[in-house]
Amino acid sequence: MPCFLRQAARLTRREIIALGAIVTVPHSVHAQQKATPVIGYLGSESPEPYGSRLAAFAEGLAEAGYVDGRNVAIDFRWAEGQYSRLPALAMDLADRQVTVMVAPGGAEVALAARSATKTIPIVFELGGDPVALGLVASLSRPGGNLTGVTSLSVEVSLKRLEFMSDLFPAARTFAVAVNPTSPTSGSQSRNLLATASSLGLELRVFNASSEPELDAMFAAVSQTQLAGLVFTSDPYFAYRSRRLAELAIRYNVPAITQARDFPNAGGLMSYGGDFRQSHRHTGIYAGRIIKGEKPSDLPVQRVTKVELFINLKAAGQLGLTMPPSLLSSADVVIE
Amino acid sequence: MTQSPSAPRSSLFAKYFIALFAAVVVPLLVAGGSEAWFGHHDQRARLNDLLEAEARSAAAKIQDFLDGIRDQLAWTVQLPWSDGADERRRLDATRLLRQVPAVVSLTLIDASGRERLFVSRIGLNKIEGGTDHSASPAFKGVRPGAAWYGPVTFHAGSEPFLTIAVAGTRTAVGVAVAEVNLKLIWDVISAIRVGRTGEAFVLDQPGRLVAHPDISLVLRADQTAIRPLQALRARITTRNGQATEGRDIGGHMVLAAMAPIPSVDWSVVVKQPVTEALEPIYTALWRTGALLIGGAGFAAALAYWLTQRMIEPIRLLEDGVARIGAGQFDHRIDIATGDEFERLATRFNEMAGDLAVSQERSERIGRLKRFLAPQVAELVDRSGDDSVLDGRRIEVVVVFGDLRGFTAFSARAEPEIVMSFLSEYYDALDRVVIDHGATLTHFSGDGMMVLINAPVSRPDPALCAINLARDMQKTVQFLLRDRQALDHRLGFGVGLAMGPATVGRIGSEGRLEYTAIGTVVNLASRLCASAGNAEVLVDMVAAEAVDGRAPLVELDAHVLKGFDQPVRVFAVGEAAAG
Repeated sequence: MPCFLRQAARLTRREIIALGAIVTVPHSVHAQQKATPVIGYLGSESPEPYGSRLAAFAEGLAEAGYVDGRNVAIDFRWAEGQYSRLPALAMDLADRQVTVMVAPGGAEVALAARSATKTIPIVFELGGDPVALGLVASLSRPGGNLTGVTSLSVEVSLKRLEFMSDLFPAARTFAVAVNPTSPTSGSQSRNLLATASSLGLELRVFNASSEPELDAMFAAVSQTQLAGLVFTSDPYFAYRSRRLAELAIRYNVPAITQARDFPNAGGLMSYGGDFRQSHRHTGIYAGRIIKGEKPSDLPVQRVTKVELFINLKAAGQLGLTMPPSLLSSADVVIE
Repeated sequence: MTQSPSAPRSSLFAKYFIALFAAVVVPLLVAGGSEAWFGHHDQRARLNDLLEAEARSAAAKIQDFLDGIRDQLAWTVQLPWSDGADERRRLDATRLLRQVPAVVSLTLIDASGRERLFVSRIGLNKIEGGTDHSASPAFKGVRPGAAWYGPVTFHAGSEPFLTIAVAGTRTAVGVAVAEVNLKLIWDVISAIRVGRTGEAFVLDQPGRLVAHPDISLVLRADQTAIRPLQALRARITTRNGQATEGRDIGGHMVLAAMAPIPSVDWSVVVKQPVTEALEPIYTALWRTGALLIGGAGFAAALAYWLTQRMIEPIRLLEDGVARIGAGQFDHRIDIATGDEFERLATRFNEMAGDLAVSQERSERIGRLKRFLAPQVAELVDRSGDDSVLDGRRIEVVVVFGDLRGFTAFSARAEPEIVMSFLSEYYDALDRVVIDHGATLTHFSGDGMMVLINAPVSRPDPALCAINLARDMQKTVQFLLRDRQALDHRLGFGVGLAMGPATVGRIGSEGRLEYTAIGTVVNLASRLCASAGNAEVLVDMVAAEAVDGRAPLVELDAHVLKGFDQPVRVFAVGEAAAG
């Protein structure tokens, strides 16, 4: 630059002005890029099923003072349901040197993000124990470049079995849907089996990690006359609530999942964390990190609210009468 | 008087300005300063009261949160236990969980300490679990009809939890024990706003953060991070619970007050940034300061104006006095303030007028002295009145004296000799005229005219004139006798006549003379011209007036130029005899 300036000193006035224009334009573009922080948003599905979660995230971000397109830019990467693509997408975001990476929607996403960078702050959102998953050292002191929000969805898998057993007090065997590719499937299965034995129940575990498997599972449950289908907590299931509700109606299967979207779409029941809260908190944390807080100083937040949704219309179609203990526990009863 | 006085060491303007300015500003400063000081104190006290009220209100809100849970729990311990499973209680318990989100789990224990029901949001519900709780602190600590609060515990080292136990009024109804997630106080604590940005937080007895608007601070459960908050509480405690200043986690100065929640031994501390809390005080101080500055400016302007008004006439007086002193007596000091200054100016103006009159008179008298006998001049001077010189018609005696052969002498002799002789001649005659109280009106070459009885009247002017003429002859003859040796053919003749004449001042202001006009003057002049050396010719009127008291000899009547008839002429005897 000094050499360049020395040359410029010999130029005419008009040439210097022209040069100034050339020099300053790329500089101002660069400055603008530097001024606007970029959030790398890693999604396991496509934007459509993420809609309500994105809205909650934007709400949280706004609480922290950031609005997409105004003072922050969001760079989205969607795995379109193919979770194997997540690590590559995470690497892509890491290469772009985003200000903060947001990895919502389950352990897979969080793990993929963690594998991509050790320096860029990552905010995860998942329904399990991040300490057990090895994402953070402890809830109060995450330690590394990760922090985030957990919901109790994974912990309360066993409550789903309990509610189903309350609904069918006489039934002894229930079906359980597990996504074998999920990092939390093992612990959830173990918990459920332990619960079943303490309640004196038997479980039949169905593995489902693809559309055909889901279809086959419902068909099997309906044919084997199992009392009800209990879904473990897994984003793969959560994002397919609408599809699951369709299948449940088609196969006339009483089922309980983690996401309220399921009873809202015609399914029977759901019990799980409030994803809108968790995604909102994710947005708040992303904003706070952009403001300069270190992820290691931000404790992992647990969204302790768990909500029971019951769709009475679905119950009526299934020919079920809801016991008062269930109805009195329900946060929302859809008539 | 021409030299102006040196500049004063200290100016009256500065003195008056300082005095007037101080007269306004000092009370203003005292009033403003004390107002600011006391206002600051009052405001500060009010601020502390306000903050303490905020703390009590915040504590009441937290207390309400806990009381709400306690009251809900009280519903579950009203009826005594039966032996079998109680479905109704289970419904009550699940309903309570739905009703009170903060309660994570609820355990109902009968009178013997046996767990009868356990409902949880996360774990499995248990009916007739039968676990023995008789040794648990909650069961042992709770009193009938009262509530027991356990210590705050941090689950997984992060989330604060509190155990609340409520016992029924009778031991038979047992005890309800609830695990409460204190994170939900956040809704309460974050809704508390002190002023614009002030906030509240809750510390438990050992100083752990139970609630804070920044939930992550609570979840961090980091004792070192919240040390400033603990220090803040300690400061308030040392000041007996009074509001105090301190630093918050961000290192900002805050004003903090505290209120306790006795049932759980927590402290609710409210804090407000000092800058915000004291803003009204500072605003008031700024306002007072601005008013003081404005007032001082106004006072300065007022003092300047007043001083200017006061000093202006003094300057005018000084200037006027200087001018008058310099002789400009027509100068008038123009002051119309209607006060003592105007009176003083009027006095000065009068003085200047008097001075002008007196100077004019002294000038006039100075001029008169030239042709008045010194006694006359002195008289006029003393009386201060020169009206004696005014024109009038009066009987006077006119005396003319004249040298003979002077023209030839002046042509022959050296000018120095001529002038020195004339000087001696006039000096001598002047003395004689003065001695006789006559008025020398005119010199002309070697001749002179003397008036008697004008302007100062004299008794017996004719005799006086004859005596004067004789003395003049004697003096001049004595003078001439000395000159005889030099062969100067000089002589001296005198003529006098008595009669009415018009006397007075004639001439312009610059060349004023006192003289007489009338036939008598002509007659005296002619008599003088026809008088020989050492001769004194007297007209008939004067001779008759003397009436023999002087030796007079009548001569032949003279035919005089300008007179149709021959005039009777008398010569003074001595001269005739001589």
